[in-house]
Amino acid sequence: MAMTQKQRILAAARKQAVDRVPVGARIDVWYNYHSGHDTLPEKYKGCSIPDILRDLGAGIELYHPSIWKTEYRNTEVIVHEDLPYTTTEYRTPKGTVRKKTMFTPQEGPWVEYELELPFKSADDYPAIEHLLENTVLVPDFDEYVKKQQMVGEDGLVLCASGYSPMQEIMRCIMGYERFFFELYDHPSQVEHLYELMKEVIWQKLRILAESTAEIVPTCGNWSDDIHTPIFKKYFVPWLQEVAKFMHSKGKLTRVHADGEMRRLIPMFPETGIDVAEAWSPVPMTSVTTAELRKAWGDKVTIWGGVPAILFEPQYSDEEFDDYVKNLLREIAPGYNFIVGMGDNVAFDGKIERVGRMAELVDKYGRLPIEI
Amino acid sequence: MDKMKPISEAIVQLKWDEIAALTNEAVEAGFPALEIINQGLVVGMAEVGTKFRNGEMFLPEVLLSAKTMKTALDILLPILSQQGASSMGRLAIGTVSGDIHDIGKNIVISMLQGNGFEVMDLGVDIAPERFVEVVRDNDLQILGLSALLTSTMPMLDETIAALEKAGLRQKTKVIIGGAPVTQAYADQVGADGYGADAVAAVELTRALI
Repeated sequence: MAMTQKQRILAAARKQAVDRVPVGARIDVWYNYHSGHDTLPEKYKGCSIPDILRDLGAGIELYHPSIWKTEYRNTEVIVHEDLPYTTTEYRTPKGTVRKKTMFTPQEGPWVEYELELPFKSADDYPAIEHLLENTVLVPDFDEYVKKQQMVGEDGLVLCASGYSPMQEIMRCIMGYERFFFELYDHPSQVEHLYELMKEVIWQKLRILAESTAEIVPTCGNWSDDIHTPIFKKYFVPWLQEVAKFMHSKGKLTRVHADGEMRRLIPMFPETGIDVAEAWSPVPMTSVTTAELRKAWGDKVTIWGGVPAILFEPQYSDEEFDDYVKNLLREIAPGYNFIVGMGDNVAFDGKIERVGRMAELVDKYGRLPIEI
Repeated sequence: MDKMKPISEAIVQLKWDEIAALTNEAVEAGFPALEIINQGLVVGMAEVGTKFRNGEMFLPEVLLSAKTMKTALDILLPILSQQGASSMGRLAIGTVSGDIHDIGKNIVISMLQGNGFEVMDLGVDIAPERFVEVVRDNDLQILGLSALLTSTMPMLDETIAALEKAGLRQKTKVIIGGAPVTQAYADQVGADGYGADAVAAVELTRALI
């Protein structure tokens, strides 16, 4: 009996044998845009993402924002909505900080963009510290479980939220430029924030460990020109600790590797993370899949390999076919690999190519690959 | 040239806490501000650019070099302004309509400011009409357009077309950048330049002004 897509994806993630290369396709940017503008192709009107991917014959990679809700003790949280903008003010006994976000799901994304981050200057350390000390995360599994039921054996639902502590500070609290200036100007305060953030992230990890998620998020959205100088100090040890913890709970771990990875690649295998998902090779980044396979061997399962731009009309159908066939050559004999996109299909992408990708994998992706 | 070496080295070695003293020493020793900039600071930043390109320095360090340079420029530009020049040049930068990804834009702005350029940050999701208005109403040498998404890249073209239509294309040079943007695309849409990264953007700006 043939394996299901879910079984294939999980087996590949565990470095176990599979009958053919799994496919896990992600199309939420394309779907949200067309769903929001009522421009889904006629045959897909009223369909969900899993419905469409099933019709296209592709395994499902369905994202879910998070499986917890955030509450703040001893803090007054004032939310002002002026859609698509939301301004949130956190009034703490140590001061007030503010963030501004933008959320327009009909334009494609399903998460909010930060337009203004809470940390504006060193004056904000006391308020941010208070916020972290008083953050309580409460499990919120219902929607996630519903999505798992909807996907069934045809793929996997990935919980999205999950940065490591320093990435959370860089990306969501300070912003990259300000973070590095702070790291040089006020290193002890950044370190203190890091310790407090660790506790918050551990709350997330404990919730993930108790959830039904098979592969849990640990970090992602890196770019080597930004992250390399601090990766060994702040990221590798953290990821090692998390991987060990999650493995003890029977969970697999993943990172979202859709950025420029070249100089991070040598450091990554020692993290013990199981899967690098959203892998985006040339021409989206400078690294080919062949290079990555050579560097990581069988230590890390790669999920992705077909960059988003290949789904755009500027590439011909022939070029798309050639790219996917070449990808299969690059990953031969094909173990520890899940074909998917790095990391989505844009609103003007050709959705039928998702089906073509699955078709080519069906045709040439039987293991061991000989193409 | 050798007298400027400690200053260029301070830029490369990220000595932002020593650069003010070194700059003041050079000024007090009678070196013209422009010579300190060109023979000290710019030479240091050029080496930083080379090291960045070779993978020997990373973006955070490059930003700190820019911060170091800005500390020196805060001393030197007022001296230059007495001679009629208050900055190295004036730019406005924003992400194009539909694109709210601003990490790249912000890094470029930090680098440009660190290198002594005056930058108007227009923010994100800027309509072509707003870019036209900014060019019309300000004395800019360069307009920078940023797009992260393949789906917003066409707005680079549309913005440049809007400048043409408004008869303002010759008033300001236009440079573009962002992950999916290439030199070939810049040529195709008639931009004056393309910066692959923040260091390249500064070099390009310097070359165009």
